[in-house]
Amino acid sequence: MSDPLEATQRWMHQALVFPQRADSGAIAGTFASGRLSGRDGLAIYQRSYVQRITRCMREQFPALCHALGEELFDDFVADYVRDKPPESHTLYDLGRRFPGFLEDSRPDRDAPLEARERWIDFMVDLARFERLVFTMFDAPGNEGRPFAVSATPDDLLRLQPCFAVARYRFDVAGYYHAVRQKQPAALPPAHLSFVALVRTDYLTRTVPLGEAHYLFLDAMAGGMGVADALEAVARQMSIEVEEVRRAWSTAADSPRALWLRMGFFVTPPPSTAHLA
Amino acid sequence: MSPKLGPKLGLGLGLRHQHFSEILAGPAEVDWFEAISENFMDSGGRPRSVLREIAERYPVVLHGVSLSIGSVDPLNLDYLARLKALAHEVKPAWISDHLCWTGVLGLNSHDLLPLPLTEESLAHVVARVRQVQDFLGRPLILENPSSYVRFAQSSMEEPEFFRRLTEATGCGLLLDVNNVYVSCFNAGTDPAAYLAAFPCERVVQLHLAGHQDLGTHCIDTHDRPVRPEVWELFRIAWARTGGASTLLEWDDRIPSFADCLAELRKAQRHMGMAVDPAPASTVEVGGADALSTPADFMIPRAMDSVVQESA
Repeated sequence: MSDPLEATQRWMHQALVFPQRADSGAIAGTFASGRLSGRDGLAIYQRSYVQRITRCMREQFPALCHALGEELFDDFVADYVRDKPPESHTLYDLGRRFPGFLEDSRPDRDAPLEARERWIDFMVDLARFERLVFTMFDAPGNEGRPFAVSATPDDLLRLQPCFAVARYRFDVAGYYHAVRQKQPAALPPAHLSFVALVRTDYLTRTVPLGEAHYLFLDAMAGGMGVADALEAVARQMSIEVEEVRRAWSTAADSPRALWLRMGFFVTPPPSTAHLA
Repeated sequence: MSPKLGPKLGLGLGLRHQHFSEILAGPAEVDWFEAISENFMDSGGRPRSVLREIAERYPVVLHGVSLSIGSVDPLNLDYLARLKALAHEVKPAWISDHLCWTGVLGLNSHDLLPLPLTEESLAHVVARVRQVQDFLGRPLILENPSSYVRFAQSSMEEPEFFRRLTEATGCGLLLDVNNVYVSCFNAGTDPAAYLAAFPCERVVQLHLAGHQDLGTHCIDTHDRPVRPEVWELFRIAWARTGGASTLLEWDDRIPSFADCLAELRKAQRHMGMAVDPAPASTVEVGGADALSTPADFMIPRAMDSVVQESA
């Protein structure tokens, strides 16, 4: 049997997460009445618990909230926090499991892929994208440190720490920016979409990519150097590797030049440069 | 107030990301800032960089909301390590948190939940405060929370709990006079009697904030100017603590930096200082949907720092 303090805390936390399960006898036995009754006082905590989390989730998933409408979005959040109550000390973590929750709780999850609802696919991808955007804000970055320059040899190029690439089934980045800019935003048609996210000077940029560029940057994010990543692209796209190498760096508007300007690349710290 | 616990810093303001640019453009007419520990301790982005810069120019203190000193869960040593690392970086005058618990069984409510004020709770919190102080290598400063319930099993009043806690651990106290008012109003007790019984000699810092008065009860909303009845309590508390460092919190519907400073300066008239008449408040007051322990200030407008490159 648990100590009274432990029992009280377990009971009260359950009463916050599942208000309907808190019976009036237990409430009356736990709290003394003042100007506020125990039931009314507990209700303030119960309301605030849901409202606080909902407001934070709206802040972290503004485009998804727009797409679903506030009422439906709030319903999803309420289900989410009942199913997966917050664990972390930081509210930044609140949305971490939300995309997975949406995917796991979709009503057509047992249907064949081709028979699934497209709009649910879109909502899941949009949630994944917004979560990624949100994490870029406070992730460790390269601010205050040097970036690679055009003279940096390829074999010293590394992706900077605050960088990500992702693939989606819809143009979720386009939809997200339309919502943020208060432009008309309709559910986009299904087509593969590739995007890079990079932060410089504490500003996150979303950069649309072609498939080959995505494969290259994804390979580098997985730890490959430039030469190996170029070869991986050639293999996966069935292109001659020489052609891929030419496309990488020869023109003034090549990906190499463009991405260097955007701050994609850094060089290893001097102490480890000799290992490159 | 014990000189060992912390210096007298004057009038300070809660550091909110909405005001970052204005503060950095400074100099700001404020003596010091209080930073919410959790907004910065995990940050690898702009918030931490801004705090470092501000800490070079102003005294800062760290104020936490997730230590959960009263929880029966084990203390989160990873959290404490991150807090200690942040403290090493920004050299706060002190580190504070609340006499509360925020979760149990590894879950977090993100609220400051009240404790039953019993001998068991006191022994539990005393042991944990000692553990935290040993870990951080400095006294912990604990704040009285606002409360909407009282536990039937409580065997002492909150001032007595704090007195015995500070005697047993040497911890300092942060007296939130708005919380005193809100908790006493909701409990139907006398806030002046609360102050009279409180161990004011251990108070390092005072908090001021606005609350919503709904007639039948009050909610600690931090979304509006300080109410007259709280200013009156502040006058008493400031005198009884010998002029403890005083800070205004504003956490929801946060107005301009200038409006926050104007509200903060109202404190001077309750500290026996001759000041110019305060201008009429231009701050909008929230409606019926105001939230207790608001958390908007915990989530920066991350999405405002995202731009789209063309294909």
